[in-house]
Formats: sequence, C-alpha cells, structure tokens
Amino acid sequence: MTRTRRLAAAYIALAAAVAVLFALNLFWGSVSLAPGAVLTALLGKGGDALAGNIILQLRLPRAVMAALLGAALSAAGYLLQTFFANPIAGPFVMGVSSGAKLAVALTMVVFLDRGMLTSSATMIAAAFAGAMAAMAFVLAVARRVQRMSILVICGVMIGYICSAVTDIVVAFAQDSNIVNLHNWSQGSFSGMTWANVQAAALVTLPVLAAAFLLSKPMAAYQMGEEYARSVGVNVRLFSAMLVLLSSLLAACVTAFAGPISFVGIAVPHLVKQLLGSAKPLHVLPGCCLGGAAFCLFCDLLARSLFAPTELSISSVTAVFGAPVVIWLLVRRSQEGAR
Amino acid sequence: MKEHFLCGAQGLAIGYGKTPLLSDICLGVQPGQILTLIGPNGAGKSTLLRTLAGQLAPIGGTVLLEGRSLADYTGTQRAQKLALMAPHSRRMELTTCFDFVSAGRYPYTGRLGILSAEDRQQVHRALELVGAAQLADRDFNRISDGQRQRILLARALCQQPEVILLDEPTSFLDIKGKIELLTILGTLAHTQKLAVILSLHELELAEKIADTVVCVSPGGVSGVLTPEQAFQPENIRALYGLTEQQYTALFGTPEPEAETAPAGKPQFEHYVRSGQKLLRCGYTTGTCAALGAAGAARLLLTGREPETVALRTPKGIVVEVAPLWCRRSDTGAACAIRKDGGDDVDVTTGLPVVASVVLEPDVPGVRIFGGEGVGRVTKPGLDQPVGEAAINHVPRRMIAEALEREAENAAYTGGFAVTISIEGGAETAKRTFNPHIGVEGGLSVLGTSGIVEPMSQQAILDTIQLEMNQAVLRAKNAPGPRRLVLAPGNYGLDYLASALPQFERFPVVKTSNFIGDTLDMAATAGFEQVLLVGHVGKLCKLAAGVMNTHSHTADGRAEVFCAHAALCGASREVCAALMDAATTDACLDILDGAGLRGPVLESILAAIQMHLDRRAGGAFRVGAVLFSNQHGPLGETCIAKELMKEWQN
Repeated sequence: MTRTRRLAAAYIALAAAVAVLFALNLFWGSVSLAPGAVLTALLGKGGDALAGNIILQLRLPRAVMAALLGAALSAAGYLLQTFFANPIAGPFVMGVSSGAKLAVALTMVVFLDRGMLTSSATMIAAAFAGAMAAMAFVLAVARRVQRMSILVICGVMIGYICSAVTDIVVAFAQDSNIVNLHNWSQGSFSGMTWANVQAAALVTLPVLAAAFLLSKPMAAYQMGEEYARSVGVNVRLFSAMLVLLSSLLAACVTAFAGPISFVGIAVPHLVKQLLGSAKPLHVLPGCCLGGAAFCLFCDLLARSLFAPTELSISSVTAVFGAPVVIWLLVRRSQEGAR
Repeated sequence: MKEHFLCGAQGLAIGYGKTPLLSDICLGVQPGQILTLIGPNGAGKSTLLRTLAGQLAPIGGTVLLEGRSLADYTGTQRAQKLALMAPHSRRMELTTCFDFVSAGRYPYTGRLGILSAEDRQQVHRALELVGAAQLADRDFNRISDGQRQRILLARALCQQPEVILLDEPTSFLDIKGKIELLTILGTLAHTQKLAVILSLHELELAEKIADTVVCVSPGGVSGVLTPEQAFQPENIRALYGLTEQQYTALFGTPEPEAETAPAGKPQFEHYVRSGQKLLRCGYTTGTCAALGAAGAARLLLTGREPETVALRTPKGIVVEVAPLWCRRSDTGAACAIRKDGGDDVDVTTGLPVVASVVLEPDVPGVRIFGGEGVGRVTKPGLDQPVGEAAINHVPRRMIAEALEREAENAAYTGGFAVTISIEGGAETAKRTFNPHIGVEGGLSVLGTSGIVEPMSQQAILDTIQLEMNQAVLRAKNAPGPRRLVLAPGNYGLDYLASALPQFERFPVVKTSNFIGDTLDMAATAGFEQVLLVGHVGKLCKLAAGVMNTHSHTADGRAEVFCAHAALCGASREVCAALMDAATTDACLDILDGAGLRGPVLESILAAIQMHLDRRAGGAFRVGAVLFSNQHGPLGETCIAKELMKEWQN
C-alpha cells in the first residue's frame, strides 16, 4: 500500500515541521535568549525570572495560539471549499472574516467606551454573529448566481465594505484604544494570554472534532449534492453543519487574531498535494497540522524579520498564500478552456 | 399485477413546486428487466427518474419499492436497494477511479467511511462487472467519456442495488461507447437480476435493449408498453412531433414511392416454392377491397385507427396488412390498401384500393358500389349484370364477410354501404383488356382465391413440372395405364370436383395457361391417357391452335365461335353478334338463340381434338371436356368420351 505509506510520511513530516517551528518560535525573539535559559524556563526550574516570563507568558501562549488558530483557519477554509465546491473559497475571500472583524470592532469600541474590558466569550460571540451575518449574505447571493467567480467577487466586496466600516468605527474610537484596535484589525498573534488560549481551545478543538466526524458525508458531497442525497446524506442538515462549523472556526480566529488572509485557501491545497489525496478523512487532520505549521512560520517571520517592529500577520500570510491562490486560478481557467 | 413490481409507481404526479409537470403515472419494473423511458427533451424524463429515485418528493401518488412507499425508507436503507446514476460533471481532485467507485459503498461503511476488506472487494467486483478493472488506479479526470460512464455505473453498482436508475447514460458517448455501455447494462440486468430503468435518446438502441418502454411526452406518460407497441412509427412521430418526412428520413427504408407502406409494418409474406426459387405471393384487388372495408368499418365502430387488418382468403391463407391510410370522412370513413401482386407485377400493383364505408343502422346487410377507378359492366355475360360495378361475386362476398365480422366484433346490428374505388384505376384500365371484354371506366375487382400466385413464366412452368413429377409418382403406383387429368385453372378444378368427382382419384395437374407446354411435359413423363377439363373460355382457344391461352399471347375466342358458326350455316347477323360478344358465355347465349349451339360446339370440339392430337404427336391419347359456369357441361371431344368411359371402371 504505497498510499498509506505516503500518508504516514506526509503526516510525520507535517508534525515534525510543527514541532520544529514551535521550538523556533520559543527560541527566537526580539529578546535573545540562550537555548539553555529557554529550556530551564520551560521546565520551570527557576533561573532567570525575566526569561521565564518571556517564555511562559509571552512566547508560549503566542505559539500555542498560532498553532491552534492556524489549524482552525485552514479547516474553516477547507470546509467552505467543500461547501461551495470551489478551491478558492475561504473565510477571507468570502467576507466571513471581515464580517466577524466588523462585529468585533463594534463590540470593542462600545465596551471600551464604557470602560469595560471585553471578555473572550463576548468577543467570540460577536465575531460569530458577524461571521454568520456575512455568511447569510453570501448564501443569499449564491442562491441567485451559479457562477463561483461572481460569488467570490461578492465575498471580496463584502470584505471591503466591512473593512471600510471598521475603519470608520476605529476613526471614531477614543485615542487610547486606537493603537490597540488598529493592531488587531490588521491581524496579529501578539498579546495572547493563557485565558485567550483556553477560550480559543474550548471552541476550536470540539469544532475540529465535529468537522472530522463529518468527513464521510463530506466525501459524498464532494461528488455533488445530488449524488450525496442519492446515497442517503441528509443534505440540508449537512450543509447547515458545514456553514455553522466553518463560521465558528473563522469567528474564533478573528476574535483573537483579527482577519488573517489566504491561510484558508493555501494550506488545504498544499496539504492535498502533499498527501496525494483529496479525501476529507485524510485532508482534515493534514489541514490542522499544515495550518499550525504555516501560521507558526508566518508569525515567526512577522515578528523577527524587522524586529523590533512587528509586521501584521496578514502581510506575511498574503505573501506566501496569495501566489498559491493565483496559481490555482490560472490552473482552473486552463482546465476550463481545455 | 402491480404489487409484483420490484419498483413502481401508481397514480404518481411529479414536478417541481406545486403544479404537477406530469400526473397519473403508472409504471413498474421487475428484476432482470430493462424499462426504457423515451420522449422529447424537457418532457420530464429526468424529473420522473429523480422522483422514482427518491430525490424529489412526488406531488401526488406514491413510489413503491418492494411494496413499501419509498418515503418510508431511511436514506441508507433506500441507497442499499436503489441507485441513481446521474450525469457527473464535477472535476474530482486527486481521485483515482478506485476512490471514485468506492464512494458507492457509502450506505455500508461506518461512521468515518473507512473501507473494510469486504468493501474493497465489492469495489473491485463492481469495476470488473463494468469491464473497468484496469482503470482502478487511473486518475478519474484523465479517462475517456466512455470509461467515465462505466466508472459511474460501477459506483452505482457498489451500492449493491436491486434497482438501478440511469439518466441518459449514453449522452456524449460515441456510438461504440453507447453500444458498449448498453451491452454491459443488458448483461447486468439479465445475469445479476437487476431491475433497470433508464432514459435514452437513441431510439434505435432503446428498441434493441428495452424489455418494456414508457413514453414520456409533455402531454402525459404512457403505460408500460412492449417495444413493438412503443416503436410503431405513428407513436414515435406523435411522441416527438415528427412529420412523416422527418420520420422517414431517419428511420424509413428508402422506397421510391411516397405512398409505400412505412417501414416496420407487416407485409404479406406468403411464398410458393418453385424449383429452387421462392416466389412471394400477392393479394388480389378483391382482397384489397375487403381489407379496406374492414379497416374503415373498424375505425367507425371502435373509433380507433386499425394498425393492421386481416382476413382469411377463400384459398385459406390469412392476409394481414397495414392500411396505407385510414381516416374519417364527412359521412363515414375510408381506408386504403395498397395492391401487392407479390412477385407477379401486373398493372394494378401498387395502386391504392380505397373502401369508403358508411354505417346504415336502419338498412341491414351490405350494399356495395363501385367508385372512381372501378369499371362498369357494359356487356352481358360477365360475372355481374350490365350496369353494375365490375366487382365480381367472390370479392363481393369477401367484402360482405369482412364487414359482418367487424359488426359482430363491435356488436353492431345495422348495415353498411361500401364504395370501392381504385386511385388511378381509370388510366390503368386503358392498358388492359377491360374495354374489350365489356368493362369500361376502370378496373375490375377480381379474384377467386384472393391470392395472386406469382406468374412469371418460368416460375409457372417450374411449378407445373413439379406437379407433373408428383403426378408421375402417383400414376406409377396405380395399376393399368398411366392416366392424368389436366385443368387450366381454379374453375376447371372446381368443375372437376363438382361434376366429375369420380376422376379425382387420378393425378391432377394445373396447367395454368400453358396447355401446350404441359402436354409436352406429360409426353416426356410417359403418360398414356390425358384428360383436359377446362372452361370453354380457355379451351375454345385450342380450336384455333392457340396452345398458350393467356390473353397476352392471343385471344381469338370470338373468332373461333364466329368461324365455326359460319361453317354450321349461321347468318351474317349471328356471326356479327358473336364477333361482338364479350365472353364465351355470351356467345353460347347467341348460339342458343340461333339454335346452333349443338353443331357449333361439335365443330369446335372436333377442331380442339385435332390440335390436341397434333401436339401430343401420338405420345398418348388426349381428350378435352368443356363446361361453362353459366351453362354447365358443354360436351367433350371424341377421345375424351372414350377415355371417360374407360376410366369409369
């Protein structure tokens, strides 16, 4: 069985990449720490208190979050691609991330004006509401137009509208919040707390598990809605689940790290090529590993490339993700012309 | 009956939304059977298939699978019994044909859809069943259209269904692909006892593969038809809205005449063997008239255009043909039958004989009239009195019998008025002897047997030779001298049977018009005593030495009577009347009037004897017996007298 061997090799490679990048994220930073100091901090053997703080309170939660949200983001992308039967669908291009962003920005401004701190749960709820609103709009459009390209353009337009509104909201926010809000709206993994990680994990992990359990009907659905129905899939329930799960994942990511572009498209595609399979059963775990590795890698670049200045995470993911999307579009049109 | 269907529907109404697209659909299919849906685009074949597959809820009625409503099945239960193969257009990423086919195991795999060893085996089996085992590891996107359809079929088979529904599986395939796919389907249905329902556009293929057919047209859905019923040209033309020309362009056999019967209709197939040749018989104008009358009467009495009409001819052979056309007129209905002379092509072959029938509930019986193209009797002595339509008594009886049978079938107690006409009969008649024999304005409707046996000269000579050979065998077995009876035609045989039954024990050979040739054959065969029994109209020609009595060769009947009457001292007026007589029976009437019948016949018989002796050339003793239908026995030649006396013993 060459296929199982290939799958195993691919999973091992992905896991190794995640491990190596995770380690690099801990060792590498604006404050240079000796590897020994990092290890002692991780093992909790006292030592330098500052180094311990940097590792345990800053770098470790940030790395865990990057891995977690990366996995969530690529899984969300894969679910949307399955739902729309389009390889360039994703939370960012469909405007779902932007919808969540707008809702979160509004919530933050309202809450901060009243001097309240926004809890993780509130943020996720707001993001989810925004994501669902954007999704509802996209679905309404999808019912009218059959052409996927038009649907994607609509999604992008919704994204622009939401971003513009968010910018206006930010402009009217109090000065003290602006920097914070601005950073967030560009997308960043900085400033993650363990509380954030906990909340994100509570949402993301069950949703990912649920998505994995849907991989059987997903495989049938990939062959067409009609076919799925003919083999006994409850298509209505199944597509509702797909929309719900992908929106939850995208909302969760947006609530903590702001909109992050192209991960949802690029990672599933690269993973499929690596695995040599498009079966959801194989691709979903691969997506989680691949998304984690990709976000760890991009975050590493974002904070170390021009240190101490941090780049927004979207700037980095776009540089690596956008070319994949362009390549996908070109290949698709070539095949269409064939 | 309906409960036995594996999968079926009763009173089904289908469509999208609330308004039914089609309703009152009743159909069903048995294991091992292929049901084909045919009909124009947009009529609802796909909608019907999707409803039968449970993809679309019926608007009314139920779909039954093994006697249970399909709606009562869960998705998985349904998928284990019934598979739908719809066109697949989606690109599949990184999917091998094996992967693709394995998707069909959906109703059997566990929560995550992981294939067991049994599942893998079923996938391989399905691939083998469709002859695509070698494609297992190929990329699904990179196989041909024909291969793709096979893979789709294999995926459906993976569901181990009992019923499989296919929506236009042959679209986009080349002809080889179509034939291969349908062959696989046929084999599957018959070996795996699968019930198959499929929609097809290729009628010629549908006709080959289908066990039963359902026609889906925008106006409604037919019941379950046999292919013979469904592929009637009229049905196909109505279903697809084709004109006759369009239909013929596609399916018809190219024939020069526009008025030939469309392909697929029954043709009269009765053959006579002659030597090594097989000759096709035809039917007479009289048979055509009777068939047409039956067709028109059936249209009037049942309201349905008959597809074929049939009758038993006096000869005992059943003739079944499709009418050329059959339609209602203002007062009744008319039906046209094309005259088919078989291999005996004469002037009337191909002419449409039209019978127009009017129901006369208050007048019992059948009244027969001659219309356009049918001649009128102008001289006495013919089968019908002067002034009547030239339709002889046998065809008249056939027409009446045919109508009485139709009336009986429809429980109709009234009478009929029939007008027989022959399109183009008047022009054709000018090329026949009709004006001369006293029929004017058209053709005669003739025929005593109802059947035209092929008349090619060699064929007849071959047949006579054959009969002669059989006669020799019979004569050899009998003691005493070899004896033979000859009769020119049916009249002679009838007379023999009624007036001279004692001679029927001797071998009889029908000479047709070839009396001379038959005598030669009898000489070669070694017969010693030959008796010729014939109608005076034929045999009087022998008195002039005419040994082939066909009217194409020579006539001379009036001349014979005239000459012999003159020899016997008839007046000039009598001679003139004889020359002008239409038939020999008329001649006899004239002679009776002049009191000269006895001597003239005596004289003629002597002349016949002389010519017979000359032809026989001493090989055997030969005599002739003459009769007429009207006048009965007319006498015999001297040798015939001797022979008859000898044969009595």
